[in-house]
Amino acid sequence: MASVSFSNIEKKFGKVKIIHGISFDISDGEFVVLVGPSGCGKSTLLRMLAGLEEITGGEISIDGKVINDLDSKDRDIAMVFQSYALYPHMTVRDNMGFSLKLRKASAEITNKRVGDAASILNLDPLLDRYPRELSGGQRQRVAMGRAIVRDPKVFLFDEPLSNLDAKLRVAMRAEIKALHQRLKTTTVYVTHDQIEAMTMADRIVVMHDGIIEQIGTPLELFDRPGNLFVAQFIGSPSMNVLKGTLRQVEGRAWVESQNHQWPVGTLVRARDGQTVAYGVRPTDMRLSSTGQGIAAKVIVVEPTGAETELLVEVDQTPMVVVMHGRTDAQPDDLVYLEVSAEKSHVFDETSGLRLD
Amino acid sequence: MKKGWSLRKVSIEAQLLLVGIPVVLWTMIPVYHLFLFAISPRDKATSGKLWPENPTLQNFEFVFGQKHFYLNHFWQQLGNSLMIAVATGLITLFVATTAAFAISRLKVRGGRTVMNMALVTYFIPAAFLAVPMYKTMANYGLLNNRWSLILAMVTIASPYCIWVLKQASDKLPWELDEAARIDGASPLQLFWLVYVPLMVPSLVAVGTYALLLAWNEYLYGFLLLSKETDLPLAVALGNFLAADDSPWELLMATGFIYALPPAAIYYAFKRYMVSGLTAGAVKS
Amino acid sequence: MAEAVALAGSPPRRSSNTWNNWGRLLVLPYIVVFLLLVLYPVSYGLWLARDPQSYVKLFADPIFFRTAINTFIFVVVAVNLKLLIALGLSGFFSQTRWWIKIVAMLFILPWAVPSIPTILSTRFMLNPEWGVINTLIFKLTLKDGPNWLNDPTLALSLSMLMHIWKSLPFWTLILLAGRMSIPSEQYEAASVDGATRWQKFRFITWPSMKGLYLTSTLLSMIFTLGDFNSVYLLTGGGPADLTHVLATLGIRYLRLDQIELAMASIVVALPFMLPLVYFMMKRLSK
Repeated sequence: MASVSFSNIEKKFGKVKIIHGISFDISDGEFVVLVGPSGCGKSTLLRMLAGLEEITGGEISIDGKVINDLDSKDRDIAMVFQSYALYPHMTVRDNMGFSLKLRKASAEITNKRVGDAASILNLDPLLDRYPRELSGGQRQRVAMGRAIVRDPKVFLFDEPLSNLDAKLRVAMRAEIKALHQRLKTTTVYVTHDQIEAMTMADRIVVMHDGIIEQIGTPLELFDRPGNLFVAQFIGSPSMNVLKGTLRQVEGRAWVESQNHQWPVGTLVRARDGQTVAYGVRPTDMRLSSTGQGIAAKVIVVEPTGAETELLVEVDQTPMVVVMHGRTDAQPDDLVYLEVSAEKSHVFDETSGLRLD
Repeated sequence: MKKGWSLRKVSIEAQLLLVGIPVVLWTMIPVYHLFLFAISPRDKATSGKLWPENPTLQNFEFVFGQKHFYLNHFWQQLGNSLMIAVATGLITLFVATTAAFAISRLKVRGGRTVMNMALVTYFIPAAFLAVPMYKTMANYGLLNNRWSLILAMVTIASPYCIWVLKQASDKLPWELDEAARIDGASPLQLFWLVYVPLMVPSLVAVGTYALLLAWNEYLYGFLLLSKETDLPLAVALGNFLAADDSPWELLMATGFIYALPPAAIYYAFKRYMVSGLTAGAVKS
Repeated sequence: MAEAVALAGSPPRRSSNTWNNWGRLLVLPYIVVFLLLVLYPVSYGLWLARDPQSYVKLFADPIFFRTAINTFIFVVVAVNLKLLIALGLSGFFSQTRWWIKIVAMLFILPWAVPSIPTILSTRFMLNPEWGVINTLIFKLTLKDGPNWLNDPTLALSLSMLMHIWKSLPFWTLILLAGRMSIPSEQYEAASVDGATRWQKFRFITWPSMKGLYLTSTLLSMIFTLGDFNSVYLLTGGGPADLTHVLATLGIRYLRLDQIELAMASIVVALPFMLPLVYFMMKRLSK
């Protein structure tokens, strides 16, 4: 268990700079998720921490000690790869014990550690099998077992669930989270799936084009995204964003967009008449039962059992509404949307930064 | 698909047979003739019969008993062939595996240049290289030393072996190396504990190729070695041609013995050989 | 983008000293082999061939002229014939019949067994007095068969046949592998579209195999230039040195202690070889 610190990290491949001065700290025992679209630099950052990529600028420290010049094996980290990277010619037992074998540990220690890890992950019956005989989920667990045996300061996960089917992914998410609660090892987890980030992280680092867009707890990022990118990246279905004009008249404020007035909550740091981007989440809108609100035409109704997703059009602009339970609304119906001011978000149209 | 014999099906089978039978005949005639001679007594070998009247193993007896002037050193020469082939196989395997690992997995700088060096060597016709090689070995003082032949064979076999091994190595996932490095492996541990075990089929194919190349070689042995006790069996066989009254049937019997090991090895390792060697040739 | 890697993980990009040093160390054995046993002999050989007088003597030698022609015929005819047959046979061997598998197993023999016994065996078959072939001809026609190896044209042709016999299996295998890598769905789709066998070959098989065929032809030319055994063991270069090819001529000069001539005869082939080698390098070097 240890703290990790990134300080002004830069990464260049040849002349191309893909990570531009990233700094943040991870406290001991924290589960931090690096999330972002493909190409944002999250995997590269993880690999620099692992020692698999050179650090072109800045310093990474583990427990206060700079590790830039240390070889992977001296950094006391363990990594779980996207494609498991199990040694095909070794049994599960040997795979898990490989790092100890390299250090010439005694058979006693090896057996104990492998045995402990195996029982934590329910791998006992599989110890003498070969990777090719295992399912995807089992292989992933062996990869985790291998990491646990190392008893490292930091766990690194590089999109470990991407190769699993949806149902398995949900189950493994819970397992990894439970493992972390049990072992309390500092964990850095990379994924492009924001749901994974939201469900597993203590804190999320949202990355985009080599910079950090925002760092915060899942709920912080959900409730108060710092900019448009985070607002639309976190949350599924993603936030509805409308272009509009901010009106501030005599203490009242609203956003005019699509020929309607949209409520705005707290103080907005902008001038009257300024163009803004107005955001409201699908789950934060309700269908009015009193016929009051913003008029919208229903285009598609998608019931998913416990919820219903509606695609509507407000003045020809599509928006998504997600409501609990069922609805009688049909395509082509006219409905009225209730939006509460506290659940609205206003962003600067050009910089994307939050204004309220 | 309908079962049964339509005219079309019969015609296809007939066409295939029309190809297959000549192919078998064409392939087997020199080989069968060799066998025929080997089991025929002296005067009857040339009678033109398809199967000898009195097939005999006497020729083999003569060969194994070294009971002829030309066969005085048969066992020594057979041993030479074996020793040279095995040494070539092992040394080539060592040279090629280390080079392929360094180039493919360690991505050593200048790796492409080394590959190109190997490739160029592969494209020098063996008979052309033989002339300067002879002088080179003379300059190195290795003439009439079996090691000159071994080294020459290693030189000729290495390029193809490196190329095949590199192609095969490139197919191993990088994450394995990364996982091993994070697990704490040194370069040597990575090579021995992860790389080599995963490359075994290719190593077998490549080692066998080098071994057989050396076993089958004639020209270089012919040039580099002259003492009878140094000769590999291939060259000794060639010496039979010197006189007109050589015991042809003994020659064929010896040749047959000499031809058996490679045939046996090819058939034993058929799967490895075919996949291992053509993998390098067909670039997908 | 740097993140999109085709294979899992990506090749190492570190300058860690240990790993680089081991890389250099492990590639050293081959470099030593190359320097001592390729670079030195080749350089030395070229140096031996530096005297223009050698070339004067070479061109004045009637054997050389004949040899050049023989070599040209040998390479052009034997290689193309061989590759053509290999192309056809690759189609044959790609058919799945139990007996074709057996034929394939036998077919490998010429490549698998060493050349000495088989070439000598053929040589004896061709012996004009007691060889099997002439004996059979006499039995069937009551006439004497030709003196196979004493007629230069026949002898050269037989050497070519011998060469083809030996190397055909290898190239057939290569072309067969090329054929097998064509997805069968393409043929199935063509069948549905009503293509004949010839059309399938022309529009599916050949376009896929063109590159491999060309590469194989070039490579085979290089190998054929170096085939010493097929000529030497069958004809010895005779009769009267009339069936030599460059491969055997060089050795002949060497045995006569005329090493400069030997090297000169090899260097003379370079203008034809170097373009071949250049093309091959371009195609295969990656």
